[in-house]
Amino acid sequence: MNFKEQRDLFRTKKVSAKEAVQESIKKINGDNLNIFINSFQSEALKQAEFIDNNFDKFKDAPLSGVPIAHKDIFCTKGLPTTCGSKMLENFVPPYDSTVIHNCNEAGSVMVGKTNMDEFAMGSSNETSYFGPVSNPWNSDLVPGGSSGGAAACVAADITSISTGTDTGGSIRQPAALCGVTGLKPTYGLVSRWGMIAFCSSMDQAGPFSRDAFGCAALLDAMASYDSKDSTSTERPDKNFENLLDKDFGSLKIGVIKDIDNFGINPDVMESYEVSKTVLSGLGHELKEVDFSELSTGICSYYVIAPAECSSNLSRFDGVKYGYRASDQKDISKLYMETRSEAFGDEVKKRILIGTHVLSAGFYDAYYLQAQKVRRMIKNKFESIFKDVDLIFMPTTLDQAFEKNRESNDPNRMYKEDLLTIPANLAGLPAISFPNGFKNNLPIGGQFIGNYFSEDLLLATTNRIQEVSDWHKMTP
Amino acid sequence: MDKIELKNLLFLARISADEKEHTKIIKKLKNTFDLIDEMQDLDLSDLEPLNNPLELNNVSREDVNNDRNSKGEFLNNSPESDEDYFLVPKIIE
Repeated sequence: MNFKEQRDLFRTKKVSAKEAVQESIKKINGDNLNIFINSFQSEALKQAEFIDNNFDKFKDAPLSGVPIAHKDIFCTKGLPTTCGSKMLENFVPPYDSTVIHNCNEAGSVMVGKTNMDEFAMGSSNETSYFGPVSNPWNSDLVPGGSSGGAAACVAADITSISTGTDTGGSIRQPAALCGVTGLKPTYGLVSRWGMIAFCSSMDQAGPFSRDAFGCAALLDAMASYDSKDSTSTERPDKNFENLLDKDFGSLKIGVIKDIDNFGINPDVMESYEVSKTVLSGLGHELKEVDFSELSTGICSYYVIAPAECSSNLSRFDGVKYGYRASDQKDISKLYMETRSEAFGDEVKKRILIGTHVLSAGFYDAYYLQAQKVRRMIKNKFESIFKDVDLIFMPTTLDQAFEKNRESNDPNRMYKEDLLTIPANLAGLPAISFPNGFKNNLPIGGQFIGNYFSEDLLLATTNRIQEVSDWHKMTP
Repeated sequence: MDKIELKNLLFLARISADEKEHTKIIKKLKNTFDLIDEMQDLDLSDLEPLNNPLELNNVSREDVNNDRNSKGEFLNNSPESDEDYFLVPKIIE
C-alpha cells in the first residue's frame, strides 16, 4: 500500500493507527531479509493507541497514523541506537534526535530501526555488524547502502515511509537498487542533531517512500530549523506536499554529455534513454551539459569523508558510552583494544585513511587538494544551473549486485557512488526514483536541483509518476 | 607506505592490529590511494578550498543553563562510572 492510501484510511477512520501498526509488526516478524536491527512492538502499539485516542489532534498532521521505520542512525530516547556497529550494540540514547522528534510530532508511529552499513560506511549494507540486508527483489543480491534496510523496508511493503541518511549516495543508491523513491535534501534543510555523525559536512537525512508523494509528506515532517545544529538553515516557507501539483511549466533539463563514458551498464543506459523521451513528452527541453569533472568527485569524497570520519569517530574510546574492551590495565591499551574489537574492517580502514590524509606532510597533497576539487565541483554545478533548471542522470552505474563483490574489488564498490557523490560535495538536493526494470530488477534515475529546490524535484518526479508505473512495481 | 609508517598511523588512530595483518592492511590502503591519487594531476592552484557547501554563520545563544544535559543519564551510559566520575584504568603509574 502506498503512503497516501494508508494515511487516507486513517483520516477517514477506516483503519486505526493501531491496526496499521499491527499489520507492519506482522510483516516485521515474517521478515527474512534482515531489514531490522530492532523493532519496538509494545512501544509502537502504545503510541498508536495514543494517536487513535487523540484522533482530532493528529488527523491533519503530515504523517497521521502511519507506521514508519527509522534508520538506526537516529538517536531514540530510551531505545537502542546501534548505527550498525558492535561499538553501540547496547547504547541507549538519553534523548530523541530532531528527526525522530519531528516525525513523532507529525503523527507517525515508529515500529523499528532499520539495518545499515556500520556508521553508514558502505554501499551494499554488508558492513553492518548485524549482518547484511537482502534485496527484496532477489535475496542473493544487496539492497545497496548505507540505508539499505530503510529502502528494503519500503520495497518489501513493511512500512510505506522510512528515514535514511545520504552522505555519498546512501539514500539514492539503495532507493535505485530496491525500486523506491528517495530524496537527499539540500545540506542543512534537515537537522543533524542526534544523528550519529560520519562526515558532518555532507551527512544529510531524507525520506524514502514508494513515490514522490510519500517523500514530500515525510520531508514536510522532517525539515525544520534547529538551533541545536549549527549547520541547520531556516526552512524555506514551502509545504512540499501542497507544491506537488504546482505547474512549474516547461523546464530546461540538463543531461550530461558523453555520460556513457563513465562505465554505466547498458541496461541502465537504456532506461535512462527511455526516461529522456518521457521528459520530452511532458514538454521539457533536454539540454546537453558538459560535466567532465564529475568523476573526480569520487577522489575528493574518499579523502574528505574518511578525514571527517576519523575525527568524528575519535569519540568512541570506551570511556563515556558504548563498547569497552575488558580487563585493560592501562588507558592507551583500553582505547586501542576497544576500537579494534568494536569497529569493523571498513570503518577501521576509513579511520586510517582519514588519519593519514590529515597528518603532517600529507595534508596539502590530499586534504587540501580534495577540498579544492570540492570547490571545483560546486563551481561547475553553479555554472550548469545558470543554463538549466534540473540535471537528470542515472542514479547508479549498475543494478543490484551480488553479495561479497566488495571483497574482490573494493574500488569497484567505491565507484558505485560515482553519480551520487557530486551532489553531496556541493550540498545540493537530489531525488532518485524508479525509471525502468530489467532482469526483474529495478533501475533508478535521479534529478539534481539547485539549492532548496526540493519542491521542483518532487513535483517533476510526481509528474513522471503520474504517467508511468515503474514506482508501482512490487517484488 | 611501509610497516613503520603503518605502525605510526595505527597508533595515531588508536587502532591495534596484529603484525601478521600489516601487509594486508597496507595493500588495502594502497588500493584506495590508487583511486584517490587520480586527482593529483589536476592544477587547482587558483581555487580556494571548500570545507562546507553552505555559507555558514556563527550560531550563538544566550549564555544560560538550558538543562538539556542530564549528568545521571550520561553516567549511566558509561561502561564504568562511580558517583560523579567516569572510571578508567590508572593513567599514572
